[in-house]
Order: sequence, then C-alpha cells, then structure tokens
Amino acid sequence: MGYDTMNKKTNVKMDQVMIKKKKRNKKAVATIKAYLFLAPFLLLFATMVIYPIALGVKLSLYGQRGARMWYIGFQNFATILQDPKFWESLRIPLFLLLVQVPLMIFIATLIAFSYERLEKHGGSIFRFIYYLPYTIPGIVTGIIWSYIFSDGMSPFRPVLDLLGYSGTKILTRPHLPAILLVIILWAFTGYTAFVIYSALISIPKEFSEQAQLDGATFWQVAFKIKVPLLKGVFIPLFIFNAIGAIQVFNEPWMLKELVVLPSNYTPAMYIYNAAFAQGRFTYASAMGMILAVLTFLISFGVLRSAAKQMLTE
Amino acid sequence: MRKRTLTTIVMVILALFFIFPFYWLVIGTTKNVSQLFQKSLLPGVPSHFLENIRGVFTYENGVYLKWLANSGLYAVVGAFAAIFFASMAGFAFRRYNFYGKKILFILILGFAMVPIYATTLPLFMLFRDLGLINSRLAVMLPSFVNVFGVYMMVSYWNQVSEEVFNAAQIDGANDLRIFFQIGLPNIIPGFITQFLLSFVSIWNNFFLPLVVLNSRAKMPLILGITTITDPQGFPVYNLTITSSFFAILPLLVLFIAMQKYFKPQIYTIH
Repeated sequence: MGYDTMNKKTNVKMDQVMIKKKKRNKKAVATIKAYLFLAPFLLLFATMVIYPIALGVKLSLYGQRGARMWYIGFQNFATILQDPKFWESLRIPLFLLLVQVPLMIFIATLIAFSYERLEKHGGSIFRFIYYLPYTIPGIVTGIIWSYIFSDGMSPFRPVLDLLGYSGTKILTRPHLPAILLVIILWAFTGYTAFVIYSALISIPKEFSEQAQLDGATFWQVAFKIKVPLLKGVFIPLFIFNAIGAIQVFNEPWMLKELVVLPSNYTPAMYIYNAAFAQGRFTYASAMGMILAVLTFLISFGVLRSAAKQMLTE
Repeated sequence: MRKRTLTTIVMVILALFFIFPFYWLVIGTTKNVSQLFQKSLLPGVPSHFLENIRGVFTYENGVYLKWLANSGLYAVVGAFAAIFFASMAGFAFRRYNFYGKKILFILILGFAMVPIYATTLPLFMLFRDLGLINSRLAVMLPSFVNVFGVYMMVSYWNQVSEEVFNAAQIDGANDLRIFFQIGLPNIIPGFITQFLLSFVSIWNNFFLPLVVLNSRAKMPLILGITTITDPQGFPVYNLTITSSFFAILPLLVLFIAMQKYFKPQIYTIH
C-alpha cells in the first residue's frame, strides 16, 4: 500500500468523522431551536396538565381528615372498589354506553346517508339545522330541556293531561335516563352525522357504481358496500362517545335544579361532591385517577394510531 | 321519486325535533313567569320581551354585562394563546429533527384525553397554594393548553411542503421569520378553525370556573346564568331563559358567520 492511498483513506475517514460531527452539531442546534419554539406550550403543559396529574396521584395515596393528611398507600382505591356509591355512579355511563351511543351512531348513519341522498334536494339545509345543537353549551342545553320537561312549564303537560295522564309527573328520577337520552341525542346526533357524512363523501364513486349498475337500491349500496368502508370513522366515534359517557356532568347538574338527584348520580358528580360538598379531597382525587386511567385505556388504540400516523409522515 | 319523498318527510320531522328547543327558548323570552306556566307553544301576549331584557341587564346592578365581558376575555385570550402556542409547538415538530422528538410527541398525545374531572381538583389545590383561587388567572391559565390543538397543528404543518421552508432558508431568513412570515400564512385556515373551536369550548366551559371562582363578578356567562335567583334564593325562570338566549346568541352568530371553518375534528383510524 503506497503512502498516497493510505493518506487518502485516512482523509476519507477524517471526512466521515467530520460529517458525523457536523450532523451531530446540526442536530444539537436544531434541538435548541425546537425547544425554544416548544417552550411556551411545554411550560404550560407541565404546570397545567402533568403537575396536576402527578399531584392527583400523590393525593390519592393519602388519607385525610380536615387539613391533616397522611400516607396510606392504595387504601383509597381499595375503599372505592368496595364503595357501593361509586359503583352506583357508573349506572348512567353504562346506560349511555349501551343504549345512547349505539343508537346515536345508528341514527346518525341513517342521517348521513340521507344527506347524501338529498344532496341536491336540500341536504345542506338539513346538515346545518341538525348541527346547530352541537354549538350550544351543555349547561344551556340542560336548562332548556329541564324546563321543557318540567311539570310547571312543559308544553307536553297539556297533551298528557288530555290523554288522561294528568297524575303522572314528567320530570322524575325514574324518567331521568330516558330524558338524558333525549337531551344527549338532541345535542350530538347532528354532529355525529356530519362526521360520518364527511367520511362518506370521500369514498370513491367506483365502489358503489358497479353495484348500482347491477340493480342494487340506494340503501342496499349504503349498508352492504359503504358502511363497512366507514369502519375508520365508527371506531373513533364509539371511543369518543364512550369517554363522553363516563364523564357526563353538565346536563344532570342542571336537571338536579328541578328534580332531587343523589350526590353520586354520575362519576364526575360524585368526584365534585366528594371534594367540595364533603371535603374528602384525597378520596375524590383517587376517583379522578380511576376516571383518568379508564379514559386512557378506552382511548389508547386511537391515540396510538394517531401517534403512528404523525410520526411516519 | 316516491322514495326520496319519504326520506325528505322523515328528515323534516327530525329537523322539527332539532329546532324545537330553540323555538321554545325564543318564545320563552317573550313571557313572564305566569305566561311560562300556561305552557303555550305560542309567543307570550302581551309580550314581555323588552321587560325580560331589561330584567336580565339590570339584574344585580348589571352583573350580566360583567359575565359577558368575562366570557369574551376568557375565550378570546385563552383561545388565541392556546392556538398560538400550539402552532409554535407544531412548527417545532414539523421543521426540526431534534433529540427526544418521538418521545415528546407520544407523551403529549398520551395526555390528550386526560379528563378535566381528574385534573381540576389538583389544579384547585395548586391555585390555592399560589393564592390564585377566585382570580381570573385561575380560569385562564389552564385554557392556554390545548393538547388536541397541538396534534391538529402538527397535521396542518405537515401539509406545508419542505420547499417552502428551504427556499426561505436559502434566502437567508432566520427561523423566527420563517415561522411568522412564511410558515403561518400557510396554515391560517387551520389556525382559524382551531381558534374558533377553542373559543367555543372555553366559552362553554363550566366545570373549571365552578371550582375555582366564588365571586360572581369574575364568573363567565355560562356559570353566571346558573346563579340567577330572586333575593330569597328562588329561581326566576323568565330571567334564566332570557339570559340563556343571550348566552348562546354570540355562539350561533359566530357559527353561522364562520360556518366553513367549523370542521368536524376527530382522529381517524387508518
């Protein structure tokens, strides 16, 4: 090996080292710049999200009497799992999950197809009207509907009297699940239909054209061909509505102005009342953590797929 | 076509169901309490509309206007801060290949769905230690964080092509200029969409103000209207109805005026 080639080789090696170093320097500079752009968000994220969760975890491991607190390990969680009031609070979420969510997605699917069917015959007007309730805050929705169902003001009262039900009250505890069902369907069906419709119109025409040529009707094409293609939107809809179901608070909060409700009517109401009516902060924190873990588990699949999608782009 | 007629009829009936509460609310604003108790589906005769408006705006020395101003302040400042910070964060994820990028993104997304019913109680204790309970800051600070907004911003930034940035860099623009002058104009529609969604969600937020505020003068509208009672503490239905109407009016106007920016936001699975 001559001197020249050896020199060349070391030069190449030196170059490679230099390039690596340069690359590393470049990445170091990029890191500084990136974190400067991220700084405001990260600072607020750390103090307003991460820190409260950490504090919530810590509180949930403490016993409490008044201002005095002491470490008790997982005892709060053991107590919660044996607390009948906690299990009772899950009734409404479970009812919503099993009845309201599937029913709403089913109705919303029918509506989405109707939008498509009426595309040039007023579909956009229906879309607009059906979406409107979604822009109304849950508290106002709760006020309006609780008044509409109240025995003092309900326009349904005269109708019921006429039908011979003058003794039956509308707004009672046993009727509440049905009333919540109406309220939540009113508030979210239009939005859900719009989400499904948005996915629907992005399905390429070729998928349905052949079937239509073969003589299939509109609704046959809809259910046999298009519904299976909408899986990517049904799954997140189920997941987000499940999360909404376990966190329901505002609507029952307003209904309790007109009908007596227990402090543990929903998990969120139980957390609020345990903390601020009964002063059991650490116990309420532990319930909050259970709610957070449940939410995380339910949403895990969607979040993972969202992360993958972003990181590969 | 007969089949389309059937669909139309069903859709019209459903439309009546969706409109009915709005109609009931609007006619409710024309009634006093005894008219409300008549349960009619027609507007009140004589109309008490102006009287109800006067009642709402003079209630407790005009506290309603304070609530309105508070809601405006919380929603405008909160939404702008949240989405501006989110667009900066999104830019960082788009533009730079930096240490900890993947882990940070997963961490942020992992906390995207944390329920407010889990964080608000510890936040209450944090604000209590900082002496911020019953301050406007306690309502605003948590609203500056919009994790979902960051996720959406990353997806908007990802649609801006690499050449746009590279061309600017060759021209010698520094990173701040690239962000403000070259980057931001490209994502303005997304920025507006996120701003509006954030605005509405802060305007509608009930739980956080309920927990951290006790003085009525600092309450947002949505919380304020639930505290309307007569001096003896009994509900005043006509005032609650009229104030509800004026609490949702800005939202309806905003929605109708900016309709094309209200796009459904949902993660989809591929």
